[in-house]
Amino acid sequence: MTGKATTWTRAGGHLVLGGLGVLCAVPIYWLFATSLRRPQDVSSAALLPWPLSLQNYADAWAALDLPTLLGNTALMATAIAAGQLLIGLLAGYAFAAWDFRFSRALHLAFVATWLVPFQVTMLPNYVLLHQLGLLNTIAGVVLPQLCSALGVVLLRQHMLGFPRELLDAARMDGRGSWRILWTVVVPNLGPPLASLAVLLFINAWNEYFWPALVLQRSNAVLQLGLRSFMGAEGNDWGPMMATAGMACLPVLLLYLVLQRRVVDGFVRSGLK
Amino acid sequence: MSALVEVARPAPPGALLPQRVRRRRRTVAPYLYLAPGLVLLAVWVYRPLAQTAQLSFLSWNLLPTSPAVPVGWDNYARLFALPDFGASVLRTLGLIAGLLPFTLLVPVLVALAARRVSGRAARAYQALVFAPLLVAPVAGAAVWSWLLEPRAGLVNRALGTQANWLQEPGPAQLAIVVITGWHVLGFAVLIVSAGLTGINADYADAAAVDGATPGQTTRWVVLPLLSPTLGFLGLMTVLLAAQWSFPLVDTLTGGGPIDATTTVYYLLWDYAFGSFDAGLGAAAGMVFFAGFGVVALLLVGLTERLVVHDS
Repeated sequence: MTGKATTWTRAGGHLVLGGLGVLCAVPIYWLFATSLRRPQDVSSAALLPWPLSLQNYADAWAALDLPTLLGNTALMATAIAAGQLLIGLLAGYAFAAWDFRFSRALHLAFVATWLVPFQVTMLPNYVLLHQLGLLNTIAGVVLPQLCSALGVVLLRQHMLGFPRELLDAARMDGRGSWRILWTVVVPNLGPPLASLAVLLFINAWNEYFWPALVLQRSNAVLQLGLRSFMGAEGNDWGPMMATAGMACLPVLLLYLVLQRRVVDGFVRSGLK
Repeated sequence: MSALVEVARPAPPGALLPQRVRRRRRTVAPYLYLAPGLVLLAVWVYRPLAQTAQLSFLSWNLLPTSPAVPVGWDNYARLFALPDFGASVLRTLGLIAGLLPFTLLVPVLVALAARRVSGRAARAYQALVFAPLLVAPVAGAAVWSWLLEPRAGLVNRALGTQANWLQEPGPAQLAIVVITGWHVLGFAVLIVSAGLTGINADYADAAAVDGATPGQTTRWVVLPLLSPTLGFLGLMTVLLAAQWSFPLVDTLTGGGPIDATTTVYYLLWDYAFGSFDAGLGAAAGMVFFAGFGVVALLLVGLTERLVVHDS
């Protein structure tokens, strides 16, 4: 009796979860399915894209110079993630390893940036980039985003949980704080550091607002190249889906390979 | 936003170092480590915030050659007199209400259902639900504009409807809510699942021993213990809903049709870079900044009062 009931509830669980999972994945599937159809089949509703064709990718390539866009996007995301990680490490270390005046106030200064929406600071930042001559450059996209409160707060949290015996031992050896950071703290921070790195990279890769503002004239990253396909009268769906596929593929591959790290990073962080 | 939760958790400052060493090291070292981050914050967050505050009292059309004229509180007066302002606040509230099922109701149901499904299958389903979060907002917008295409789009074909989703006010609002919900659902499911895992199973077992049905246990034991997680998700939804939907509104509807999808942040964006009314945009920015700040404080206080703590 109970055995039967649990079988039924379990089947119900599978149905609810599986149904929702499929529903969530349909748009992603349809994105790639459409991009792989022959141009004359793009409007087809057949579930499987058959015969397969890469013509849409070739068309997108011809319109957009995809390799440059991919390279620029990868460069931008790597620079932003690396910068945020480095600055987060240094600041988190300062908060975790020393008890100093204004420590609480300065920590609050980082946390409080969450309450400042991008749209409130965009105009003065845009003007400053204009004065620095950095509009329409990748550097102009990277520079204002180099410090992430998320990175500082999370790394501080992790370092506070760090076993102090290790640090004491290192200090007995006569190592300075800089060497302790790189030879003791960082090597022992592996998994959370990796999760955070993946998360910051994905966020930077998918970033839209700021590149849209800074790179107005050049459309030099994938998200903007994709936007240039949209909105025009009579969308060219095939190449557009191919470009969208290229914009998602690296992150989705990263997710396939590093699923635990990615999920871990998002759970720890909250959503930016 | 998780920081709001995390600061509340007491963490002994400087626990890394024993007292003696700490005192000796009351030097410039921590300030040096903090310097790069603080400089960046000052230049790219707090300076522009102050400038926006300043700009909200000026009239300026963004042209470097034309001077900015001080106008006192005029921008604020103009802002509150404009019908757009109140309408955009109401629409943002509607968006938040529309998203709450995606960030609270469905995640709780799904996470509860997931407990009945064995490990590997549950993880596979969660991986599927989570995937949309990783799709870049613009790519999400692209594929949804294709799915919602009136003639050849999959949605109209599957539902047998002929709606012109993004060109009519009601359907466009619904579309923005659903697409935003699609993006964030997996994240909420993950957070609720993590919250459920963190609940000590002894409580539910004790309730079962006392003769509680599974439904009663869920309602009176599990849900109260889950309330901090739900409070956190609710807070994030209220504060970030308009941010999450911003790239979708910008690429899919441009705030239209007839302003039906113009949220507070889109209005702000439009004042500054659409109508080049920098003063008005800055005034709107300050009002929304202060408004969301007050709401955040109120909600943090409220959840502190209402949530049940496992003790």
